[in-house]
Amino acid sequence: MIKFTQLVLTGISVGFIYGLVALGFVLIYKSSKIFNFAQGEMVMVGAFLTWSLLGLFHMPVLPGLILSFIVAGAVGYGFERFPFRPMIGQPILAIIMVTMAIAVFLRGLAILLWANFVGIKFPSIIPEQTIYIFNIPFSSVFAWSFLLVFSLVIGLSLFFQYTRLGLHMRAAAEHHQLAQSMGIRVTRSIAQSWAIAAVVSTAGGFLLGYIRGIDFGLANLGLVALAGALVGGLESFKGAIIGGLIIGVAETLTGGYIGRNLKEVVPFVVMVLVVFYKPYGLFGLERIERV
Amino acid sequence: MRLPSGVFNVSYAQDMTVFRTLYHWLGLVLFLVMLFLVPLFARQYWVDLLSTIAVTVIAIEGLNILAGYCGQISVGHTAFMAVGAYTSAILARQLGLPFWLCLPCAGLAAGFAGIFFGLSSLKVKGFYLALTTIAAQFIIIYLIKTPLEKWTGGAIALHVPEIHLGGFVFKSERQLYYLVMGLTILMTFFAKSLTRGHIGRAFVAIRDNDIAAEAMGINLYRYKLLAFFIGCFYAGVAGSVWSVYAKVISPDDFTLEGSIWQMGMLISGGLGSTLGPIFGAIFIKALNEIVVIAGPLITSVIPAIGAQISAALVEMVFGITLILFLIYEPRGIAHRWEILKESYRLWPFSY
Repeated sequence: MIKFTQLVLTGISVGFIYGLVALGFVLIYKSSKIFNFAQGEMVMVGAFLTWSLLGLFHMPVLPGLILSFIVAGAVGYGFERFPFRPMIGQPILAIIMVTMAIAVFLRGLAILLWANFVGIKFPSIIPEQTIYIFNIPFSSVFAWSFLLVFSLVIGLSLFFQYTRLGLHMRAAAEHHQLAQSMGIRVTRSIAQSWAIAAVVSTAGGFLLGYIRGIDFGLANLGLVALAGALVGGLESFKGAIIGGLIIGVAETLTGGYIGRNLKEVVPFVVMVLVVFYKPYGLFGLERIERV
Repeated sequence: MRLPSGVFNVSYAQDMTVFRTLYHWLGLVLFLVMLFLVPLFARQYWVDLLSTIAVTVIAIEGLNILAGYCGQISVGHTAFMAVGAYTSAILARQLGLPFWLCLPCAGLAAGFAGIFFGLSSLKVKGFYLALTTIAAQFIIIYLIKTPLEKWTGGAIALHVPEIHLGGFVFKSERQLYYLVMGLTILMTFFAKSLTRGHIGRAFVAIRDNDIAAEAMGINLYRYKLLAFFIGCFYAGVAGSVWSVYAKVISPDDFTLEGSIWQMGMLISGGLGSTLGPIFGAIFIKALNEIVVIAGPLITSVIPAIGAQISAALVEMVFGITLILFLIYEPRGIAHRWEILKESYRLWPFSY
């Protein structure tokens, strides 16, 4: 029983990070109807970037993190201008392939810049100690990541609910033309959501990299988070977090009880099952299609 | 489309003709003869390259039927190649079946795997479908690696026995080249014929608007699953041929990146045309080879970059190429080829 509870708790904290990355997808999807397959690679590059600033250039923790967020945000902002603006109105296949091309490109970039540093670890920032929750031993890293993700999620929700920028982005997500006629610059809104998504995935990359070391496999974890977003439903922030949690818990449970190999595919199995049962996810919007 | 000078269509059959004039036929025959003469003169490198391209062409023709004609996005195509490769290898190893039996079995196995994962296409499309096929990629490779380890050898490479056809043993790459090339030509011919008939038209209707297609009396269930079956059948055949050519297969040959590359080849070649996959496979492979050769040169000029430059450049160049194609020529090289043909067809007496 203790093992079970421990696995569930670990799953929840990993799931929160997946949820955070999934939040990035949902953000972009809601504002521009683009499903970003490069999210995994953005997580990986974000992790390497943060590591370069903290581990390679020995920057202090807080400025280092903030600088990496700024760099990631700027790059994300740029993605809207190229290649996504020319893709407006293109078929879905073309848009999917553009995000995949970005994924391939980012992977190449990561190999070019960081191939010699694979398997590195972040310098220890968070004090390593074991915390007991309900008498269950629990690494403090997980608790910290839990806190960080939680504050990010709260912060993002408040941002979307109560700020002018957030309002603009929600309007742009609702209907591009309508938002434009109300004087909102949709392209800028989309660029901003790309920037936020890049920052969020960098944060996710930092946390995931901190927990399990940084390597090119981080990109696949991004895909896992994508499965989480799909489970939760693409239109819902709440769904992204809950989907991430479901995926995280399912993953650690199979990893703990069955085996490592199955652990890697379980998120996708869960996703396929959910897609069969509820095609638009648990909290997604069901679309009525017309000719 | 403009016709060559002096050629006029007077019947529907003529309108659908692929090869119209004597010169078309001459060109085709010359091309085929050249293809079959290659192994007699060329170095091993070219034989290998051409065979790899030919196998890829088979797989991408299937992907083209699935994604280019029927509009069902699949980003797990190499997994279905793996199904085909492992099916034919295991049948040959365990039961000693001859290749001419293994090959269709491999195609069928991959086709049915395709139908299974294609079931989700009845409920979802677009991004959701793309992600479901990515899931197929991971799930199939997992099945090969772990539960079926007894037969597949798991992550360890599996040796594929030599093949016999009649009393003839295919040993060297040059002999296998003929097998690969022959099959490629056959499969391309089937793909072209299929897409010209009523099935191809139904696929195009589904691609353009599936609800409208359904309203016009096309059975979506049947045709979407048929598209998945045919597309994955092609992948299975390609996988089977590849396993025979490579002689050794392992799950690492069939990655998600491979699937993305195949999709990239299809897009740069041109979706929805039989020529597209051929152009795309040749173009991307050629680009790849150039980058692989250029990588060490760059390192020798600027040593600071390091030896990983080739691996990195291959991916970066592919990514950039794909983005540029999608933005500037979404209809691919095949479309450019059409334009080129138009421009010389009436030259110099255009009206």
